[in-house]
Amino acid sequence: MERHDPVRVVIIGGGTAGWMTAAALARLLGHACTVHLIESEQIGIVGVGEATLPQMRAFNARLGIAEADFMAWTRGTFKLGIEFRDWGKIGDSYIHPFGTFGRGRGEVDFHHYWARLRALGVPVRPLEDYSFACAMARANRFAIPASDPAAIASTFGYAYHFDATLFAPYLRALAESAGVRRTEGEVVAVARDGASGDIAQLTLRSGETVAGDLFVDCSGFRSLLLGEALGEPWQDWSHWLPADRAVAMPCRSQGELTPYTSAIAMPAGWRWRIPLQHRTGNGYVYASAFLPDDRAADALQAAIEGAPIAPPRPLRFRAGRRQRSWVNNCVAIGLASGFLEPLESTSIHLVQAAISQLVELFPARRVSPIERDEFNRLVDYEYDRIRDFLILHYHATTRRDSPFWDYVRTMPIPDSLAEKIDLFRRRGRVVKHREGVFMDASWIAVYVGQGIVPQGHDPRADAVDAADLAASLHRLHDEIRTTVAAAPLHAAHIRATCAMPDAA
Amino acid sequence: MPPDRTIRHVAVIGGGVVAHSAAAALRRRTPWIAVTLVPTPIDPAALADTMMPTLPSIHGFHADLRLSDQDTVARSGSALRLGTRFVGWAAHDYVHAYGAYGQALGSTPFHLQWLRLARAGQALPFDHYAPAALLARRGHTSGLPEGVAETGLQLDLPRYAAMLAALVRHCGVRVVPEGIAGVDRRADGGIDAVITADGTRCTADLFIDAAGPASPLRPAGDGDWDDWSAGPGCDRMIRVTGPATAVVPPCDTVTAFAAGWHWSAATASHAEHGICYASRWCDDDTAAQVLAGACGIMPGAAPVVLRPGTRRTPWRGNCVAIGDAATAIEPLEWTNLHLAHSAIDRIIAMLPDCACDAVELAEYNRQTLAEVTRVRDFVLLHYAACHRDDHFWQAAAGAPLPPSLAHTLALFRDRGRLPVYAEETFARDSWLAVLLGQGEAPARLDPLAQATPLPLVAQTIQAMGAALAAALPAVSPSAALAAQSGPMPR
Repeated sequence: MERHDPVRVVIIGGGTAGWMTAAALARLLGHACTVHLIESEQIGIVGVGEATLPQMRAFNARLGIAEADFMAWTRGTFKLGIEFRDWGKIGDSYIHPFGTFGRGRGEVDFHHYWARLRALGVPVRPLEDYSFACAMARANRFAIPASDPAAIASTFGYAYHFDATLFAPYLRALAESAGVRRTEGEVVAVARDGASGDIAQLTLRSGETVAGDLFVDCSGFRSLLLGEALGEPWQDWSHWLPADRAVAMPCRSQGELTPYTSAIAMPAGWRWRIPLQHRTGNGYVYASAFLPDDRAADALQAAIEGAPIAPPRPLRFRAGRRQRSWVNNCVAIGLASGFLEPLESTSIHLVQAAISQLVELFPARRVSPIERDEFNRLVDYEYDRIRDFLILHYHATTRRDSPFWDYVRTMPIPDSLAEKIDLFRRRGRVVKHREGVFMDASWIAVYVGQGIVPQGHDPRADAVDAADLAASLHRLHDEIRTTVAAAPLHAAHIRATCAMPDAA
Repeated sequence: MPPDRTIRHVAVIGGGVVAHSAAAALRRRTPWIAVTLVPTPIDPAALADTMMPTLPSIHGFHADLRLSDQDTVARSGSALRLGTRFVGWAAHDYVHAYGAYGQALGSTPFHLQWLRLARAGQALPFDHYAPAALLARRGHTSGLPEGVAETGLQLDLPRYAAMLAALVRHCGVRVVPEGIAGVDRRADGGIDAVITADGTRCTADLFIDAAGPASPLRPAGDGDWDDWSAGPGCDRMIRVTGPATAVVPPCDTVTAFAAGWHWSAATASHAEHGICYASRWCDDDTAAQVLAGACGIMPGAAPVVLRPGTRRTPWRGNCVAIGDAATAIEPLEWTNLHLAHSAIDRIIAMLPDCACDAVELAEYNRQTLAEVTRVRDFVLLHYAACHRDDHFWQAAAGAPLPPSLAHTLALFRDRGRLPVYAEETFARDSWLAVLLGQGEAPARLDPLAQATPLPLVAQTIQAMGAALAAALPAVSPSAALAAQSGPMPR
């Protein structure tokens, strides 16, 4: 009675985005669709998005991926947040935690109390000393969050670092076991229906044709279907986010295994440092208008901590996105829909968010404009919010040491961001979001970490006696310190729970 | 140290529940603020001050005032209400209660599976899977398992207002004689002082206009009013008070008629009946006849004129309008006092300093407008999803809708999903209670839900329905009598 012809889904591209999409559709909608993935070994995968956000855990859980197995296979490590070094000014360091400041439970946000004591001239520690996630990250320790919501050790979430070149094959195995068909080949022609403009079929270099109802463009920067075939206009954001190149170079790990990503500001951009079980990933994201390529590679090589284990690998990109991600019967996921630099580890998150919406709004064989509009509305919301958050990092600085920093410090910013910054500067207010990526604590961490200290605070924070307040901050810091000290080192936790096979 | 610009004195203008609630909340939650209350006569069109039924959010507001259920229910004679029974809106009546409708099956929402079963003709009505709705149908107010639903209140308004007035004095609010003779404005448009009827000059750092639709502190015609009167809905209201019923009903009843709707709500001491109608389709006498026919009491008072719409910037300078001074919306779904409470909470949570900086006010206004927009959408939903054949209802169902409601309805009608916006007052299950209660059904089933075979879904949902039916108290005699009398006349 409920039987329908399955929707024929064709996915172009076998990178992280392509195989994540294939695995999710096959696992969750295997009864309603067939999935055919076309990838070309001639085309490399970008696969530098090795650092993730906590939302990744829900995605893995929904696909039935066991954490320990996934971590061991992809040489994964745990991630409590991102350390930003030299952003507000050279010598600064702060952590954007996947957790709260204070307990995160009071009617008045913790940072208002902190700001009040500061305004009174009472000595207080840096804000991050009152965050359990930050403290555990600084101590290079890791434990799974406590389940008792009253415990200070429950006030954080976590994500992963992993080797993306190992993740795609892991997902491929999962997807193929769930019935995904894979064809090796390169798309040379796209045929569209004259009346509707929908994509009807693809022709591969071998001459084979592949017909489908829904086409998922995971072809990376090339955006073969959405950009090239359908001509969806590009929205350029490079005037706000001028970095357009990266050079990547992994190295041997040195020192203790950190449970956080590092983003270190550089004269023409920033450098990532991602700890994995078997190596450390590094890369320099820079603006080519401010730095020649060869000097970027040299700067990276000079900065990394251990011996390089591969030659420098260049990447080119542009900040921005296609106006819509879903047009006709074509949905672009990942780089084919747009690009935001990996400063806040959002690449895989954007992939995953798009896949989740596609699963929830999965169409019939004929796509309805209503589900397409809803999908695009949700994707817009994610992109715009992340875009503003990234721009904040560049704009909130006092650096004057290079033309690049002079540009980003003084560039005009989107009104939506200027309003958010003003609101925080005025009284520490953060625009509340119901759900999604980067909630209050993320914004507070970056504002305060980059020198935007509120001029005022919530007047309710004045209701407590200042001496009592100072004492309770002191006790909170003590509790955090002693609880963190009891957690295992990050490296030890990995050895005990999810070590990669060759290290066992 | 910079000069202290903390707001230390607030004047609240208004004589009803909203003004008293604001004054008490400020004293309780921002105790360093001195509060002056300037009472004004209560306007019958001030719905936030005069409607008996409230949403569940009132309990949280009371808790912040340190009022217990003992105070608000036992001492002031209010009754608990489980929801609203809607009669005449669709082929069958339905109950909108506050709480879960069914339980999710795995990661799929309950309603997507229920829709499959309903299409196969094997499901009970949607509200039979909501504990509170089923309990209300059976004529009981108590007997719910812990934590499955929330309740609103049926306020005994005279006693409730008296209790709030006593609380306001107890909290140290200064109450001046009633009436406003004038407003002293500053050069920048802000307010310096309110002059009371006896000539007292009340200065304050911040003024809250809670005086109903007249909104005496905001200059008339300041271009801030978003007029909704062209949309579907009602613009007149008549109310009468009647004797209490033998048993306090667990929910109020809202009945559709040819040109609007009428309602009955009751506490232990009395009942209130009222009618909302569209003056374009129904004259005042006809409306009075319809109301009298429904409740047996011929109304005496003149109809109240409703002017639906909202302020786009309820907070300007050092004056913030709340309640009916900010938003006028017909009382369907009883949102008026909820919006006022929400505004009071937001004023406290976002309290600026004496400068009332534009950046801070803009965020207050943005959040407020987003909330009001979705409340209006929810109220309009009842009209847009009603399939009666009277002229009024036909016109209402065919009227152009605001974009957010149009998108909501389109997505539901396509595939049974609902979009979520940033400020939602009503939970997804409330939207579903109305949509499915009024017979809306999506064009197709959700593919994700179909991962589970239909027979397994049928078994699970039927077991759910049976377990709930067995867990609740049996049908009360009064509910049985009401059921025998059949649906209300149309």
